[in-house]
Amino acid sequence: MELLAFLMIFPLVVAAVLLLVRSNGARKVIVGGSAAIIAVASLVLVGMYLGAGRVEFEFSSSALSILCTVVDVALSLLVLGYAVRYKNALAGVLAVVMVVLAIGFEVVAAHGIEVVHGFYVDALTLLMVAVIGVIGSGICVYALGYMEDFQAHEPEGAADRRPLFFALMFLFLSAMYLIVFSDNMAWLFTGWEITTVCSFLLIGYTRTEEAIRNSFRQIIMNMIGGLAFILGLYYCAIVLGELSLETFIAVGNYAPVVAALPAALLALAGITKAAQMPFHTWLLGAMVAPTPTSALLHSSTMVKAGVFLLLKLAPVFAVSLIPGAMVVLTGGITFMLCSFMAISQSNAKRVLAYSTIANLGLITACAGVGTPEAIWAGMFLLLFHAIAKSLLFLCVGTAEHHIGSRDIEDMDLLFERMPKLARLMMLGIMCMFIAPFGMLVAKWATLVTFVDTGQVALIVLLAFGSGATFMFWAKWLGKLAGIAGSLENVELTVHRSEWIATGVMAALIVLCCVGMPLLSWGIVEPYVYTVYGTVAGDISDGNLWLAAIMCAFIAIVLFAGLGSKGKGRRVDIYLAGATAEKGERRFINSLSGATEATARNWYMEGIFGEKTIRPIGELCCAVIIVVALAAACAGVLAL
Amino acid sequence: MYGLDTVVATIVATIVFAILAPIVGCLLAGLDRKVSARMQGRVGPPLLQPYYDVRKLMGKERASVNGSESVYVTCAILFTFIAGGVFFAGGNFLLSVFLVTLSALFFIIAAYSTRSPYAEIGAHRETLQVMSYEPMVLLMAVGFFMAIGTFDTAGVFTAELPAICSVWGVFLGFLFVLTIKLRKSPFDLSMSHHAHQEIVRGVTTEMSGPTLAKVEIMHWAENVLFLSWTAIFFVWANPASIALAVVVGIVAYFLEVFIDNNFARVKWQAMLKSAWAVALVLGGINIAVLAFI
Amino acid sequence: MTYATKSPWVIHYDASSCNGCDIEVLAALCPGYDVERFGIINTGNPKHADIFLVTGSVNERNIHVVKEIYDQMLEPKVVVACGICACSGGIFHDCYNVIGGVDQAIPVDVYVPGCAVRPESIVDGVVQALGILEEKAKALAEGKAPAEEKEGGE
Repeated sequence: MELLAFLMIFPLVVAAVLLLVRSNGARKVIVGGSAAIIAVASLVLVGMYLGAGRVEFEFSSSALSILCTVVDVALSLLVLGYAVRYKNALAGVLAVVMVVLAIGFEVVAAHGIEVVHGFYVDALTLLMVAVIGVIGSGICVYALGYMEDFQAHEPEGAADRRPLFFALMFLFLSAMYLIVFSDNMAWLFTGWEITTVCSFLLIGYTRTEEAIRNSFRQIIMNMIGGLAFILGLYYCAIVLGELSLETFIAVGNYAPVVAALPAALLALAGITKAAQMPFHTWLLGAMVAPTPTSALLHSSTMVKAGVFLLLKLAPVFAVSLIPGAMVVLTGGITFMLCSFMAISQSNAKRVLAYSTIANLGLITACAGVGTPEAIWAGMFLLLFHAIAKSLLFLCVGTAEHHIGSRDIEDMDLLFERMPKLARLMMLGIMCMFIAPFGMLVAKWATLVTFVDTGQVALIVLLAFGSGATFMFWAKWLGKLAGIAGSLENVELTVHRSEWIATGVMAALIVLCCVGMPLLSWGIVEPYVYTVYGTVAGDISDGNLWLAAIMCAFIAIVLFAGLGSKGKGRRVDIYLAGATAEKGERRFINSLSGATEATARNWYMEGIFGEKTIRPIGELCCAVIIVVALAAACAGVLAL
Repeated sequence: MYGLDTVVATIVATIVFAILAPIVGCLLAGLDRKVSARMQGRVGPPLLQPYYDVRKLMGKERASVNGSESVYVTCAILFTFIAGGVFFAGGNFLLSVFLVTLSALFFIIAAYSTRSPYAEIGAHRETLQVMSYEPMVLLMAVGFFMAIGTFDTAGVFTAELPAICSVWGVFLGFLFVLTIKLRKSPFDLSMSHHAHQEIVRGVTTEMSGPTLAKVEIMHWAENVLFLSWTAIFFVWANPASIALAVVVGIVAYFLEVFIDNNFARVKWQAMLKSAWAVALVLGGINIAVLAFI
Repeated sequence: MTYATKSPWVIHYDASSCNGCDIEVLAALCPGYDVERFGIINTGNPKHADIFLVTGSVNERNIHVVKEIYDQMLEPKVVVACGICACSGGIFHDCYNVIGGVDQAIPVDVYVPGCAVRPESIVDGVVQALGILEEKAKALAEGKAPAEEKEGGE
């Protein structure tokens, strides 16, 4: 319990200190030190409760509840302030509604309801703690070097808002811990709102017109989710008289009809936070922020809070038809269509964003299916996505500062220009989409689950989405793999903090992929067992070990086997004529001059362009959500 | 920890597959050239011509554009063998499918790594080909599961009826994309095994000597594996069904040779759209019918 | 016989031929002559080819191309000059831009004269080339790099 409190409060303290520290040197020490402390504390916590099943802590405090309400109101007022300043009516209205609802909730609805076990730890929490503690703080370390370069790229005389930036990053971590530890849904909601507002401020960090526009898009969409969340809480408090998440899941399990509406509302909150269609645009817009922000939002926090909630509620979705169908279809459609749209993108961060949304869609669909096997797959998807995606974001961020572009076409020959970085990036990409790496093993389990449960629509969506996934990753990987001549190495100036962070992520990928059978046995299976009382056996241990061996082999090839001189004579490429210069891709043209042979990847805008696909997806998912909510409301009225 | 037996069985089967599949594949490739020649009114090369080709390539001088290309190709051939090992060890059908995709990825990266314009265009097209056939191949594995009740290929030996009885739609759909997987015309966009192509030799343009020999051997093994995927739909508890399956595999191969000799190469749009339409209609409907009955 | 001679893959390059010989080269691949009987394949890629068939004379512009194709072929390899122009420059030998036969650019192993060269002669020339190819393959297998070819290629 003390460790739980430490993890929630310590980042808060660090955030407060960082807000005051203006010296770059001191900041480095504080961020580096406290990130290490958080990571270690998180791992200690994981070690302590590994295999302990679900442990609940008797803790209820009306003071904390009131504090949470105060924080909720303060956050909404902050948003209201920004809405007034930037004249955004919709955000203002939502903020006002939120203030009223938050106060009303504490004073009227939740009054007198006590949650005995305020905090808990189970295996899913442990998984999240490890992700937040190691990856989240890793990203904070990376941000040190990155923000130095970022500030250097800013125009002369630009305000240095780095203290605020780092404070927000740590505040984020604290809020995430609150979310994963709280059994009291009112406290969970407060953590939820803090992450929303933090990312609002982080997205708007640069205060350019685009940043502000995108940050308001984010806050509006997430406030809709927040409203759904608090309305769900109202229902729980008034109708069910309960605010414990655990109890709610139990109620949902034996009385699915009663719990259908709040489950649908909470699912909507999860869907907005996990950036599912039609709310996916906020995550795309979030790319205007400095790269560590994107990495944090995409990998270990924010969106993961959304899927965390959905995975928690999975047992309810499994038995409750309306919210279950809503979550399954939204997730499945988002997975396929966002994978399609990723093909048409050449901006690396945008490809990553679409892939994030797509993978979250898959986790969402797993949560909606809600069987033990689906949760097994969902948890692994969550873990591997967190590691691989943070590595990729950090790599793209570093590449951007050194080659001056985040366009995939400009990453041509990165294998020569930034050899170490390119290999790390290749590892990250391979982990995202190809067997035998963890992500695909999880996807494999997902497919098996969908087949087991006869989810035909999901099978088809997954099959086509997977094809598209191969396309957009493989062509990026190919661009990175190009080798030609000896080019100048431009990665010598990369900050050490960036190497530490990316190195840790890469090591984690290899460790987790190779140790997947152990992870399954130590963390994922125990969670499935505590929730369902059975184990998930879709992928046999033998197959997991096979995958583990192959992962180790590929990692060795990638880092030790490639780039050697190789045996035999070195020859030039074939250019169907006379080559203009040795080792170059230039040939002598018909006027005896030299012409450069160039090749761009395929984007197939006409088929997979955003213009074509986005409206379809938004319409489908919006209709599904509206119909599901209406049906759930009708169900309540009919009770 | 459990699962050691699976690992050992897979390793053994991989080694056996790595020895036998190239032999069978080589003979099939020789037959292909012979039959194609007869269809065109020619005598054609000896049956063992593919074997002579590979032996010659192995004896050629070693030369390459970079040191990594042959490493990637070695990975590609290795994972093809493992995919075969998984399949013939009675292992998970989906894993076999995924490993073939991994092998395809290494092959694509090998081409990309050269930065040759022709190889790169070949790699783009190869990527597109994978995207075109992947949905149908996944649906094929799913259909197999629905018919047999397990993803393990060993499951067919306890099945009362062969998979084809309930998933003929999926089977026909797979036959369609088999043409892409075997690199036969009209879908031999990324590299043609016939003489000339507008992109020289596509993916393999820069591969030469022993590296090219590895590619050839990989294709032999791949062909055997893909035909085995086709044939397994006809196997059930009756041991005699294996003979039937072998016949089906051979018939499927000659059907592909026939198609190869009678169709002109299509554009990529036609390939993508037709392969996905087939997957959606034949695969999707078949699976939906099975799931709801 | 070594395997080199059982699977000779050719690349055909038209230096500055009048196309007469080119037609005949392709004719040799048609069903009537069916050189695939001997495992011959027209590859169109020097990196895959063993035999270099050149038609036409070498001139100032294409001499680089001829040399480059030759360089990109892997050992063992042989060159067959098809038609009288490729052998000596033929009737174009004193044109202002013509350098001469293919042997002005790269070492030629077999000369097949004719205007235009007949498919039978081409097949005959290729068969002769196979003998040379076999010798070179043996030399390579014994670890002796054929030195003069290397120099000729530069």
